[in-house]
Amino acid sequence: MSSAGIDSKGIDKVRDWILGRHPERTELAADVDLIESRLVDSLAFVELVYTIEDAAGIEVDFESIDIEDFQTLATIEKAFFA
Amino acid sequence: MTSSVVTSSVATQPVVTQPRIGVDLVPLSRVRELLDPGIGGIGPVLARFLSAEELTGSLTPDGAPDQAGIAGRLAAKEAVFKLLGAVGRPVPWQGIEVLRGPGGRPGVRLSGHAAELARTAGLGPIDVSISHDGGFAIAVAAAATTTSLDHRL
Repeated sequence: MSSAGIDSKGIDKVRDWILGRHPERTELAADVDLIESRLVDSLAFVELVYTIEDAAGIEVDFESIDIEDFQTLATIEKAFFA
Repeated sequence: MTSSVVTSSVATQPVVTQPRIGVDLVPLSRVRELLDPGIGGIGPVLARFLSAEELTGSLTPDGAPDQAGIAGRLAAKEAVFKLLGAVGRPVPWQGIEVLRGPGGRPGVRLSGHAAELARTAGLGPIDVSISHDGGFAIAVAAAATTTSLDHRL
């Protein structure tokens, strides 16, 4: 489990993970739709959940996921890091 | 392909049988990402995609991860998911198992949420075909779906 410090907030870890997969991008706004923009596909979605779990120190029940919680960095932050 | 219309002995409305197909492509490079960092040869993320039985069947005879086989399995799962018509939902990876059937042909076993979605979609038995070449695996899934004529679009 990772601890969220002042200079490495959990949501920043999620943003860094997404940007790390897309070297053509240097920034990612909080309201960009991650799925519609094809930044996260079906395989990467599971990795995204794993990254959020690691950053937030929680466990996500995959069977009861609400996809809207994962739509943007803003919704992820609200659902898992608020 | 033509659709066939049959009349159920139980239902009062005639039903139409239509084919439905799904396809997906997975590069083996994605599987290598999922294997890293490997624990006992299988990465913790990959275990989210594959059931225990699938994991057992995803090893080569010397115990190493069968990257092509895993890529084919993942492609087949996603191809089956496309049959379910479940827009806006994550793929229920664990509920769509692709297992080795008689004669080595892949077979599909649905459970949990995936099975519910298949029932809702009126899907009959699902068949899948998988192929690998050039660093990619591709899979096609097909099934017949029956829908009531008064619910057709």
